[in-house]
Amino acid sequence: MARMEPSGVMTGTCAEYEPYAESIDELFAGRGAARPHATALAGTLDRLGRLQLAATSRRREAIFMQQGITFEIPGADGGPSSERPFPLDLVPRIIPADEWTTIKRGLAQRIRALNAFVDDVYHAREIVREGIVPWPLVVSRSHFARAVHGVRPPGGIYCHVSGCDLVRDADGSWKVLEDNVRTPSGISYVLENRLAMTRLVPELFAGYRVRPVDHYPAVLLAALRHVAPSGSRTPTVVVWTPGPANSAYFEHAFLARQMGVELVEASDLVVRDDVCYMRTTEGLARVDAVYRRIDDAFIDPLEFRPDSLLGVPGLMRAYRAGTVAIANAIGTGVADDKAVYRYVPEMIRFYLGEEPILGNVETYLLDDPEQRAYVVSRIDSLVVKPTDESGGKGVFIGPKANEQEIQAQVELIEREPSRWIAQEVVQLSTVPSLVGNGELEPRHVDLRPFAVFGEDIRIVPGGLTRVALQRGSMIVNSSRGGGSKDTWVLQEDGAEPEPLRPTTQHELPTMRGLSQGDWHSQIQQQQQEQRRR
Amino acid sequence: MLARIAYELFWIGRYCARAEHTARVLDGVFRVNLQGRPDDPAGVNLSWESLLAMAGAKRSNGDSPPASGGTVIRQLTLDPSSPASVVACVTRARSGCHTVRDVISAEMWEALNTLHLELRDTDLAAALQAGPHSVYALIKERCALFWGLAEQTMLRDQARAFLDAGRQLEAADMVLRMLRVALPPEGGEEGERAAVHDGQAFALLHAVGGFQAFRRSSAAPPHVFPVATFLLFQHEYPHSIAASVAALHASLRAADPRSHDSAPVLRLRRLTADLEFRRGSVDASGLAALVSQIQGELELTDRDIATRYFAGADLRPHVLTA
Repeated sequence: MARMEPSGVMTGTCAEYEPYAESIDELFAGRGAARPHATALAGTLDRLGRLQLAATSRRREAIFMQQGITFEIPGADGGPSSERPFPLDLVPRIIPADEWTTIKRGLAQRIRALNAFVDDVYHAREIVREGIVPWPLVVSRSHFARAVHGVRPPGGIYCHVSGCDLVRDADGSWKVLEDNVRTPSGISYVLENRLAMTRLVPELFAGYRVRPVDHYPAVLLAALRHVAPSGSRTPTVVVWTPGPANSAYFEHAFLARQMGVELVEASDLVVRDDVCYMRTTEGLARVDAVYRRIDDAFIDPLEFRPDSLLGVPGLMRAYRAGTVAIANAIGTGVADDKAVYRYVPEMIRFYLGEEPILGNVETYLLDDPEQRAYVVSRIDSLVVKPTDESGGKGVFIGPKANEQEIQAQVELIEREPSRWIAQEVVQLSTVPSLVGNGELEPRHVDLRPFAVFGEDIRIVPGGLTRVALQRGSMIVNSSRGGGSKDTWVLQEDGAEPEPLRPTTQHELPTMRGLSQGDWHSQIQQQQQEQRRR
Repeated sequence: MLARIAYELFWIGRYCARAEHTARVLDGVFRVNLQGRPDDPAGVNLSWESLLAMAGAKRSNGDSPPASGGTVIRQLTLDPSSPASVVACVTRARSGCHTVRDVISAEMWEALNTLHLELRDTDLAAALQAGPHSVYALIKERCALFWGLAEQTMLRDQARAFLDAGRQLEAADMVLRMLRVALPPEGGEEGERAAVHDGQAFALLHAVGGFQAFRRSSAAPPHVFPVATFLLFQHEYPHSIAASVAALHASLRAADPRSHDSAPVLRLRRLTADLEFRRGSVDASGLAALVSQIQGELELTDRDIATRYFAGADLRPHVLTA
């Protein structure tokens, strides 16, 4: 068996696999040399062979189109957008159990700190008074929400759902690249990817015990019910979508379906006397918790943008009155701002009295003149990001930019320094991925694990692995041509599958065999037998 | 109509329903068993041995190793001689359709014949090896096509009533078998064993294709008791026992001009009322007994049907071959 060897040298597809020199590869230690936890996988990939892998890949795209597992690519220059099957690379990413334990603990710690920070910012502001985070920075964030000053949601939970982006640096250490505590998306793809993998390439699972992910909707529903202020009634939970035109509509519908709750749009919701209701065929029905997939700014035209047609007038009043829970809470965007990001390790020390388990990427704030000068001096080796954007919009990558782009970026920074941050380049780790003809090549990846904060913080094993489909590229955002991979977290007891016999310890009932009906054959048989006698 | 024709139609219905249910279960269990232990007590787990028990097939005893997934999949999909296997069910349903081609619509015959030919001309063992989902998806689709065509193209006469009766009886039988396997034998167990059974209840929902329906109809977590009561009593769910028994009752009434003194109809009427009554009163500890009691009633109904409609001939082969 291939996987008994500590790191076997393969022939065939995997033998020619050549990791990049400047970053680490998670499955291969060197040319053709699979790491111990990847030898079984490498063996299966070789056995399946290039042609079959490529064919299965094409079949997968057709199936995703049929099932509507797609996303919209905006047309160039405002042209019509097009629908694409969500890209899934068939080679999974494997995370051994002990590594996952570190990630999980690190994330839980970070989310607790971010949650405490949001609470602090809208209440006592202790971290500001201690001089750790400057108040002007906080209030100047575009997602800072004055409207929720002094509002504490049930259980003091703000960041019900979070999806921090993790990367693995060249030294193999896991780092947080971005915090997402507003409306992170992608969990539906995690579940759909796993389902597709079990259907299309079940052979790859041979030799592994991969921890399942499909309980996420149940975990989310339990958390939403936990925070719903419904007294003794069974709480009514809804998912709020901006509508079918939204690029993540597939996910909104997916979550509503999996949780068995209504998927509502703004026109379905109405607030009467500070209580939120939905319009049903039987009149108004009380809503206790809203999982909203819409930005703060659009939630309530009376409080935020008056031009918002997506919002529900009066919802903020109901929220302040504590009659409805909104997840994530209003105003959490202040915690996932890229300038505030820099202070998260300090937050962990301040609020929790712990050392951060997961580190940050070195970040420079550009409204500090000294840091700005330093950044401009070596801008061709740094990444510059707008603080309030997501989805990879407006990101400038120094080493890939030409002279003109560099000049333009410097001007942007000088004009509005507080809108930008700069970060050191991270050499994202790679995982072998299938390219057009079924060959394996290294591709850079990141990881977005999804955490749910209800009674406790629960993190689904793995998360969404995003992969940059172009050779050498580090842009993983699906809106900009990134793909995805199924992420396997292995069970603690190692990769060796244990025989699964949960019920054989106690006796299974014995039932009569399934009956059958054969009028003809039975009668003919009887007759033939009689004749023979 | 001829007893023989009624009998054929009844069994076409049974075989089609059995093929479809078995395909669903195998597909569901294969998927959950590919992965590791669930992170959550409400996760999914259903062993291959349970499937053998469900099909009433011979199982390994305590000394020999448990049946592997591959073995069970092949046995319950390919074995041409076992009445539990998908391929055998399709073959038999198809040969039944061949016999009653004049009674059913041409399109229905074509649908089943096409499935039979597809299964015959595919290297099924290889397809199962590569990924059983495609095989089971085909079977589910073709069965749905068959029933859809029956709805669209077949006369709603006595023949149709017997076809439906067979389908409903088999559907109820399959779900009851799965419940028997998944429920704790005595009910109300604590600790790990109960958690295992909880996982099975969840797997059960996936296996009968009722997960989404359960989520939409019930606010309860997918634990053994709410799932079992959903599968037993939820009229609105087409594969629930209550719905199947009611539909079976309706079919026999439609098939029988003198249904007021028909033993199977009377028995089913009583069972329907019983189910309605027990819905409000049953607790976790009584579930397993209730399920096995319903199984017994349906077995008697099956015999009553043979006695009354199929020329009194008790042709059930497990009796004949015994």
